[in-house]
Amino acid sequence: MHDLTEVIPAVDLEGPGPQDADTPRPLRSTSSTGDLVFRGLVRSAGAVVLAVTGGIGLFLGIKAIPVFRDLGLSFFTTSDWNPDTGHIGIEAVLVGTLELATVAIVFAFPLALGLALYISEYAPPGVKGVMISLVDLMAAIPSVVYGLWGVFFLMPRELYVSHWLAQNASWIPVFEVRTNPNAPNWEQGTYTSSLFIAGLVVSLMVLPMACSVMREVFSLCPPGEKEAALALGATRWGMIRSVLLPFGKGGIIGGTMLGLGRALGETIAALMILSIAFEIKIRILELGGTTTSVLIASRFGDATSFQLSALLAAGLVLFLITLVVNTLASIVVGRSRSGASSGI
Amino acid sequence: MTRKKLRALAAAVGCLLLILVPLGTPTATADGPYQLIEGTGSTWSQNALNQWIADVSGNGIQVAYGGGGSSKGRTDFGNNTVDFAVTEIPYQGRDPRTGQLDSANGRQFAYMPVVAGGTSFMYHLEIGGHLYTGLRLSGETVSKIFTGKITDWSDPEITADNNGFKLPATRIIPVVRSDGSGTTAQFTAWMNTQYPSLWRPFCSCSGLTSYYPIKNGMVAKDGSVGVAGHIAASYGNGTIGYVEYSYALNDNYPVAKVLNRAGYYVQPTAFNVAVALTQAKINQDPTSQNYLTEILTGVYNYGDPRTYPLSSYSYMIVPTGQNDPRMNDSKANTLGDFAYYFLCDGQREAPALGYSPLPYNLVKAGFEQIARVPGASSPGHNPSTCNNPTFDPNNPNSNRLAQIAPQPAACDKVGAGPCGIAVPPSGGGGGGGGGGSGGGGGGAGGSAGGGGSGSGSAGGSGNAGSAGGGGSAGSGSTGGGSTGGGSTGGGTLPIGGSGTLPGGSGLPGTGSGLPGTGSGLPGGSTGGGTGSSGQLGTGAVQYYGTPTTLSAYRADSNEGTLRKVVILELLGFILVPPLLFKMWRTRSSERP
Amino acid sequence: MTTLTDSPSGTRPALGGDVDAPRPLRQRTVDDTASALGSAAAGLALGWLIYTRLTPVTGWFAFVLIAYFCGMLTYAAVTMLGSSTVVVKDRLASALIGTAAFTVMFALALIVGYTLWQGHRALGHLNFFTDDLSKAGPLDPLTKGGVLHAIAGTLFMITLAVILTVPLGIGCAVYLTEVGGRGSRLVRTVVESMTALPSIVAGLFILVTVILFLGLPRSGLAASLAISVMMLPIIARASEVVLRVVPQGLREASLALGSSQWQTVWRVVLPTARPGLTTAVILGTARGLGETSPVLLTAGYTTYLNLDPSQGPMVSLPLLTFSLSRSPEQVDIMRSFGAASVLLVLVLALFAVARAVVARTKGGRQ
Repeated sequence: MHDLTEVIPAVDLEGPGPQDADTPRPLRSTSSTGDLVFRGLVRSAGAVVLAVTGGIGLFLGIKAIPVFRDLGLSFFTTSDWNPDTGHIGIEAVLVGTLELATVAIVFAFPLALGLALYISEYAPPGVKGVMISLVDLMAAIPSVVYGLWGVFFLMPRELYVSHWLAQNASWIPVFEVRTNPNAPNWEQGTYTSSLFIAGLVVSLMVLPMACSVMREVFSLCPPGEKEAALALGATRWGMIRSVLLPFGKGGIIGGTMLGLGRALGETIAALMILSIAFEIKIRILELGGTTTSVLIASRFGDATSFQLSALLAAGLVLFLITLVVNTLASIVVGRSRSGASSGI
Repeated sequence: MTRKKLRALAAAVGCLLLILVPLGTPTATADGPYQLIEGTGSTWSQNALNQWIADVSGNGIQVAYGGGGSSKGRTDFGNNTVDFAVTEIPYQGRDPRTGQLDSANGRQFAYMPVVAGGTSFMYHLEIGGHLYTGLRLSGETVSKIFTGKITDWSDPEITADNNGFKLPATRIIPVVRSDGSGTTAQFTAWMNTQYPSLWRPFCSCSGLTSYYPIKNGMVAKDGSVGVAGHIAASYGNGTIGYVEYSYALNDNYPVAKVLNRAGYYVQPTAFNVAVALTQAKINQDPTSQNYLTEILTGVYNYGDPRTYPLSSYSYMIVPTGQNDPRMNDSKANTLGDFAYYFLCDGQREAPALGYSPLPYNLVKAGFEQIARVPGASSPGHNPSTCNNPTFDPNNPNSNRLAQIAPQPAACDKVGAGPCGIAVPPSGGGGGGGGGGSGGGGGGAGGSAGGGGSGSGSAGGSGNAGSAGGGGSAGSGSTGGGSTGGGSTGGGTLPIGGSGTLPGGSGLPGTGSGLPGTGSGLPGGSTGGGTGSSGQLGTGAVQYYGTPTTLSAYRADSNEGTLRKVVILELLGFILVPPLLFKMWRTRSSERP
Repeated sequence: MTTLTDSPSGTRPALGGDVDAPRPLRQRTVDDTASALGSAAAGLALGWLIYTRLTPVTGWFAFVLIAYFCGMLTYAAVTMLGSSTVVVKDRLASALIGTAAFTVMFALALIVGYTLWQGHRALGHLNFFTDDLSKAGPLDPLTKGGVLHAIAGTLFMITLAVILTVPLGIGCAVYLTEVGGRGSRLVRTVVESMTALPSIVAGLFILVTVILFLGLPRSGLAASLAISVMMLPIIARASEVVLRVVPQGLREASLALGSSQWQTVWRVVLPTARPGLTTAVILGTARGLGETSPVLLTAGYTTYLNLDPSQGPMVSLPLLTFSLSRSPEQVDIMRSFGAASVLLVLVLALFAVARAVVARTKGGRQ
């Protein structure tokens, strides 16, 4: 996109304003038929997109209303999802979603920040471009590949880390397991399919997104300020701490939140790893746990129309949470970015 | 640029597809026009269906079967999104309490039996790094495992089921289905009938359910493959789950032998399932919507020693309406020919896959049902010409497999056996083992002596050894075992009792199992008392030597503190000098 | 003061010379290199000692962790001997940041490498690319059956989705940037919110509306609709961002020369934004290509090669990977990795195209 900004000075028409530089000139006079057709076409494209995307939101809302009316608050306070007994609720599912996303962010945040700092400050010029490409590539790898890797590569190996954590850090409630971690033949099965493993895998998926937002914001940091810090005798870390991090605070927070938004909605990798358990559990090392999207993916097939509505309601709740997170993120990022920056 | 790229891409795709068309489109055969038919449903019978679908694809019959669980199959059929569905249980109608609707939404249909099979308990239990394959469970123990009453493999009830053979103290992790499943329905129907006092409080319900109540400590996975996949995974040690026998068979994993009414522990082989299902009460009223569906109470409690109690049929739901929203003549033709194939020739493959073929009366009724699908019948379809191993031309209502089914081995009887396993000792440092496979006949003698189940008896190897001797003495009661005395020695004892098998009852697998226990037993037919002492010793120390381990552990924790101190010292050794140096320099720079 | 001159990092700006060329801010001194290398060696040795002799833990991961910790400690100690706390902090921070970068790159290599490595057994058979799975029963080996149907399904679905979303998405972006008006604010807000839509919910939406309500069969078309619903906001938003950075001056110049708005957009704005738009579309495509959950809900499952997206179930590569991966049978798992490898290669190829487009336009301009 640098080519575009390079063009600006060449065609800069705004500089020497004719009479009154402050008021914008009216640019259009009459429109030809071609323009009318063009505008009609483009407007209808906008209308269609609005209809499709807005339609989904409306549809979700309409479908969810009877569910909320029928089940009321119990939809949010029931943790089981058993159509046979009529106990349907998303309490455990929501907690699981948040836990998974939290684990993912706890791992993704330091790695993404470190990677973004490395790329923007440490990487040699030749390596820098390659690394940016690689991070973008990492974002493009399908989630099913992450899931496959998580199930077959990571899970059998990660068990030992979980076991070690359970042995040595079980005084922290989240690392507790309901079995004796110090037993001579420890039970590997207890540590499989846990929210912790799923969170680890998801952290790798959301990391590139967070990283590229941070890196972009870092790249907007005025070089003069950085050089000033260095010229005053700051070390590189001193410069990062005193200039770059304060400048990029918005990007760091926003990027992390965008990653969080993606982690909340992640389906396939979580579905492949997790063992579904409708239970509010804080013990993330133990097997079992579920998220909203996993619930939808595993229960859509045999759902009656009311259950489908309930699933849609669960989807709506997930969507709203994601929306809030994403909106906050874009507000935060937008504040720290200068106007119309590039970024895809 | 974008356009060009896209155009090029589209062109490339088009070319690719043009090349591929001749490869992919099957040529129509003389049997008439075929059209792809689509179905979803049971994963219980999916292995059989997949095999049949692969078989018929050469004839131009295309069937897409998506699995997904019986509940999904029934729902999809009611939603008109599939041409047929496969399910273990019929539509349940409206639940009187919750009002949940489980119906075909007015679409006309008929049930057609597909295949028989046994809901089996596939498990993954390693002893000394080797897969244990000899598990036996009574129905009550199974129910207790799956309702959370029994949580450890070394539980006395499991030990009792295995005639005193004590399994390692590993937590039991039940693996259940997370989706709506016919397998779950069959299993819970069985528990509900047989062990209501265990099942009903657990699920707080009063009947079968397609959705297993997932409680703490259980693993829940989608589909039979999900369950089997988790059990078979490297980290699946300690798991047990319920799937159709074929999943365990295909994956070379063992299934538990389940106790039947006659007092034998049997596997869900094609024979045993066939025997059991002779007692299934089939709805014989052709006017009923549930025509041909089954009532299995008789199966659960059948007194034949060859009965596998959790046997059942699987059904295909076929559309019978004249104006069915999805069917047309070519689809009906495809469905008819596919059904003809699997009801006839396909049944022959069932035993190899882990299922049991349908008997003649059900095949015949199946033909009648498929004939109700408009356009599906064909004059060439004649059940009597089927080459089906169950058919007995003289007696069409019987099942030949059930007649020729072999009797279970004597070592599979309650109080005998377990087959092929020398009961390992449980004393501290080792000890004498019980009789060989055939040997441990005497019930009390076998479990008390042969099992050496006085676990952790002060670690005294000598004691255990002599207990083993007692076991071998007990084994004499079946007459088959020649006994070998248990000798004593410090922890590395040879196997105490060696027994020869009672004549003629030897299953091929007997005696060869369980290399992993360290108790050896090569050569089943000669009675396995020849396991080398070294093997036994290591096995015993590792898994049953609680006192040794305990003391080792205590030493370890002392050592652990020491180790931590040493590590700290090492790190301090690195860190302290620079810190001191630094302090010294700071002070020296301050001094002037 | 002494600390600064001591600083091995040497913050001396290279005065004089070419003013335009960026000054190298950092030069490595022998002290830097030696202390880093020495600490690494010390960390390894110390880690080995602790790992083998002093801790009961096992596994290479534990060793790496211990060695890393020891190495960092040594590095800090060594730096402390010669430099101030500021420098120690700087060096430790550099090491930590480098570690983070290395960890991520290592994980990426592991994911791609492991998938391709596991997949190579399936990829070695030609029938894997020229056959579908219909003739492969549950017990058949790798020499029977392949993923042709999934490759074809993926191509169909993504092509349909691109055909549906690209004109709409770019049209919408043009509307937002070039035409505007009262509605544009609403459209922008809605489109932006919808990028937050979890893909599984998009699939559920299509399942409920198109399949259950309108009665369209589970098919490639339904799946591509679900993918489109997911891709549309992404492409629309990304294109809008790209179009917004086209300099206003270009538009004004074009209009000033008397061209109509249509001509301005077609001849000036879109060509200028072409590389950005291409990247946006390709990255959106890559995203849609790899989506499993919408397809899982809407495409059905089949083992046949199906060339008619409007009829009959159709699988895509991600869906096939997912379905096969859950099987307990080794052959199916190998096939699953094979399918994942093909998918990965497709994504990599798309990605390379995107990079090439950007690189070429950049190079051409300079």
